[in-house]
Amino acid sequence: MSDVLLKVSGLNKSFFGVQVLRDVGFELPRGAVLGLVGENGSGKSTTMNILGGVLHRDSGRVELAGEQIAPANSRDALALGIAFIHQELSLFPNLSVEENIFLDHFPRRMDRLPFIDRRTLREQAKEALELIDLHISPVTPVMRLPQGERQLVEIAKALTRRARLIIFDEPTTSLTARETERLFQIINRLRAQGISIIYISHILSDVLRLCDDIVVLRDGQVVGAGPRADFTIERLVTLMVGRTIDRLFPERGPGSGPHSTALSVRGVSQPGIVKEVSFDLRLGEVLGVSGLMGSGRSELARIVFGLDPYSEGEIRVGDTTLPPLAPREAMRRGVAFLTEDRRGEGLMMEASITDNIVLPSLIERSSGFVHWLKPAALGEAARGVAERVRVNVKAIDRTAVRVLSGGNQQKVVIAKWLLRAPTIFILDEPTRGIDVGAKYEVYKIINQMVTAGAAILFISSEIEELIGMADRIMVMGRGEVRGFFERANFDRETLMNAALWD
Amino acid sequence: MLFAILCVAFGLLSDRFLSLANFRNILTQSTHVAVMAIGMTFVLLVRGVDLSVGSVMYLVAVVMGLYLSDVSLFVSIPAIMLIGAAFGAINACFITGLRIAPFIVTLATLFIGRGFALYLSETKMVVQSDTVQALGRTSFFGLPWAIWIAAVVAAAAWITLTQTPYGRQIYAVGADPDAAGKAGIRVQAIMFSVLCICSVCAAIGALISVSQVGAASATFGYQEEFPVIAAAVLGGTSLFGGRGGVFGSIFGAVLVQTTSNGLVMLNANPYLYPLVNSLIIFIAAWVDGRRRLMTERLEQRKIRVEA
Amino acid sequence: MAETGSVLSFVSGGARSRPMRAFRWLLFSDYLVLALTLVYVAALWLVVPEILSPTNVRDIFLQILPLFIAALGLMMVLMVAQIDLSATSIMAMGCVVGASIMTSQDGYLAGEPWAPVVAILAIVAIGILIGVLNGICTIVFDMPSFLVTLTTMMFFSGAAIWYTAAHTSSGSSIGSLPPAFLEIGYGGVAGIPYAAIITILLAIVVHLLLTRTVFGHWIMAVGLNPSAAAISGVPVRAVVIGCFALSGLFAAFAAIIYTARLEAGTPILGQRILLDVIGAAVIGGVSLFGGKGTVIGVLFGVLFLSTVDNGLQLLGLSLSSVYAIKGGVILLAAVTDAIRHTLMARG
Repeated sequence: MSDVLLKVSGLNKSFFGVQVLRDVGFELPRGAVLGLVGENGSGKSTTMNILGGVLHRDSGRVELAGEQIAPANSRDALALGIAFIHQELSLFPNLSVEENIFLDHFPRRMDRLPFIDRRTLREQAKEALELIDLHISPVTPVMRLPQGERQLVEIAKALTRRARLIIFDEPTTSLTARETERLFQIINRLRAQGISIIYISHILSDVLRLCDDIVVLRDGQVVGAGPRADFTIERLVTLMVGRTIDRLFPERGPGSGPHSTALSVRGVSQPGIVKEVSFDLRLGEVLGVSGLMGSGRSELARIVFGLDPYSEGEIRVGDTTLPPLAPREAMRRGVAFLTEDRRGEGLMMEASITDNIVLPSLIERSSGFVHWLKPAALGEAARGVAERVRVNVKAIDRTAVRVLSGGNQQKVVIAKWLLRAPTIFILDEPTRGIDVGAKYEVYKIINQMVTAGAAILFISSEIEELIGMADRIMVMGRGEVRGFFERANFDRETLMNAALWD
Repeated sequence: MLFAILCVAFGLLSDRFLSLANFRNILTQSTHVAVMAIGMTFVLLVRGVDLSVGSVMYLVAVVMGLYLSDVSLFVSIPAIMLIGAAFGAINACFITGLRIAPFIVTLATLFIGRGFALYLSETKMVVQSDTVQALGRTSFFGLPWAIWIAAVVAAAAWITLTQTPYGRQIYAVGADPDAAGKAGIRVQAIMFSVLCICSVCAAIGALISVSQVGAASATFGYQEEFPVIAAAVLGGTSLFGGRGGVFGSIFGAVLVQTTSNGLVMLNANPYLYPLVNSLIIFIAAWVDGRRRLMTERLEQRKIRVEA
Repeated sequence: MAETGSVLSFVSGGARSRPMRAFRWLLFSDYLVLALTLVYVAALWLVVPEILSPTNVRDIFLQILPLFIAALGLMMVLMVAQIDLSATSIMAMGCVVGASIMTSQDGYLAGEPWAPVVAILAIVAIGILIGVLNGICTIVFDMPSFLVTLTTMMFFSGAAIWYTAAHTSSGSSIGSLPPAFLEIGYGGVAGIPYAAIITILLAIVVHLLLTRTVFGHWIMAVGLNPSAAAISGVPVRAVVIGCFALSGLFAAFAAIIYTARLEAGTPILGQRILLDVIGAAVIGGVSLFGGKGTVIGVLFGVLFLSTVDNGLQLLGLSLSSVYAIKGGVILLAAVTDAIRHTLMARG
């Protein structure tokens, strides 16, 4: 086993008491490509962040070429020969290609003078670009490069640091098919040069084509590992989603069931974001929206609520057309929107629970020309709805949202919309980052609303909870609707396949 | 573009404006603004701003006139640059150490610096020594001393910004401070140093200006931050960081000076000067805001759907 | 969850020592400034007992009034995490235009009985217009507010001087204002000056606006988290423009009171109080990071700054030293604000 470059064993990591990695271990030979697959939240990124020095492990061993390593930060990791190419590229658009490549190790005149040796810089940059077959001038500003070429510049950057191991995190999400093809050629060339690669992707066909070995993660554990020949797409999907998971979903009470159409979206397109999306959402139903990151699901939600523009199509609430870019108009027609970014867009962290809850309802609950408020009545209303969603805090008017747990914060976001008694509720990842108990309560609230006749658009990257909660599921991929599935046809693997296939 | 229009406009309105002598005059007058705008460029590049440059100017002029009139220029010039650096370091301590907004820190030090200098000068006119005044009259190869100094500063700044790792890292910090930190650049150290550079440039600007005027009145350098920021922004340096350069700022300084010179030539009402100056800075900032919006939109167009 | 733990430990005392807790309480309290003011007055009283003489106290209070009004205006802009440096130029511009309308020396409406009313309306209109201009440039054109308002400050200060020069022979001020107008500065009801009544009314209005109206809640929301506010249906742009307009309006009110007391419209009016206005707001606990501010805090801030100012003058310090010290006080207040902010973020 002399040619093993990376050996990971017994890796454990937990955040806030939740264990996200359990005894993770795998090996990567020199000059091999390892595919790492798993659902969102299965621990792929955490593992890679530990290797790349972004996070620190709780326990376990990481050996690089036989030596135990523990990179403290990304700079450290880089010095050890581990380059991490993130999904969000870290290039500076205002600098040239060569400057980006050599930003923190510029070749200097006479090796020590504080001046850049432009000639050597150009030569070395040319060499690096040559290696990855990128025929652009090294002095081009990165601003002018298309996304695919930027990715290649990142690789060139890794190569000049003499990286022995390059980690790619979802490198193809923003690439065209041509660009992806080119990337694969280069990865193959790197492999031939003896550089090891870890390739993380949701696109299983790519993984099967490109990788020598594959590791499947689920719930922070390795559930399958072996050479590519051992796997098919079907087997990978089965491993990723696992068998029936004993997660409980609350029973939905008897309601009127789905009836008249509440929200109707027809042929909505926005270049580069979504393409000809059409669907109907009925009162008394939960429509699940499934899709990977970058599939356009969150973007679609923002468009429907009037936060982002769209170039074509129509959005109707009931009988009337909803004007674009008018969230207040949407709110007036009974639409509510829970954003996926709770801290950034959902809450005022420094403000009290009451202030957060009443914010969207202020205008309706004010009186007179100056929009006078009655704090006591507002407080009463907030208390009522806070109790309904079980935010168990006594002084909701004096407790800042910042001090609440993630689950309680999310309940506050739900409460602020419940106070408006919405008929159409768009929920974007309502259970992200909250514990199991709180998830269960969120599901209960959703059920209560549906039973009362509301229409719910439930966006989630966890297929599990959509299967547990939705009446129908719409699958999205690359900005388009890939298909609708009725409750009778809910099947993890079919749904996963619909989202994954390209 | 704007420059050409201005030249033509003033040229039509006053026949003296387009003379060679007047052009040389403009250049000489704009040197101190140019030097300070170069310093300001460094700060703007990392998304900062320094409002205290006018006070640094006055403080330096007072110290020079009162305490350094007897020593040789070889002592006094390094001394005032040191004062500038120290002033910049104080600004930097508050901005990088405590993360207070640069404009509020430098607004406060603007008053502190001027107040301190006025205390030293007792608000009297501070006359400079003969050596300093002689400096203002000296020429090399037919060009006044001030232009040479400005050229040296410009060359040094240009080399720093374009030919050193440090300079390129300044641009990286301005484009995205978080990403720069992740890429292993010492962001705080860079912020600290650019503020020092800016104040040192202000000190040099004071030296140039004071050698030309010969004395520093109590309003010396007052509101000088306006033409300086205007020059940098007019020269294409963005207030949002990451874009700009030395030559743009010099050009901006000449443009600012051309306007005021043109107004003088036209015998315009002196009360109009601040109005015109503020309009120029306003237009520059407006254009800068528009430009940022456009580049942002271009950047946002990530192609996810196959075309 | 980790956050909750640390905050609870703060609330319950946890591992922190008693003096540390007391220090934190004082740091976060509105009354910190009031306490400092009292300490300062007491200390100074030992050196210059005149500071507590009835005339001096009266002086301080009269000095506070316009400053307080302008600082309240600035507070609203700071609450949406912007800044307005143009208050002083609004005061200068409003003051000379108002004076030029009603002055008995060639005023546009010289001698007309309703001239003061028109003048006051003109001042108010100027304030609102400049404020709206600031707001639009900041939020619609995406220009940094400090630069926008710095520019409007410079422009309108210059314009005020130019306007005065165009309307008078001396070029320094416009006097001979009608007595009805001067009544604002000197008259009063039951010993309380009109100026004080106006100030108190405005303070109450601002307090009610912030705590009891939708607009006040919207201001807080925009300051704390503009994205969350927009998603919750708050018209963010309108709120920001409204705050700038209010800031301009309040500067205009301050201008009216100043003009009435000075008995003349002068373009250098307010030039010196820029620092005092910003200082008072920041010292009074209005956060530069947005979302936080109370009327009572600003009142204490104004009180503190005016007392310091007054005390330094009684001590016979030169104007320049007073400037330097005020700059230092602002820096200190900003430092306190930054420390509060980091402590809050840490929880």
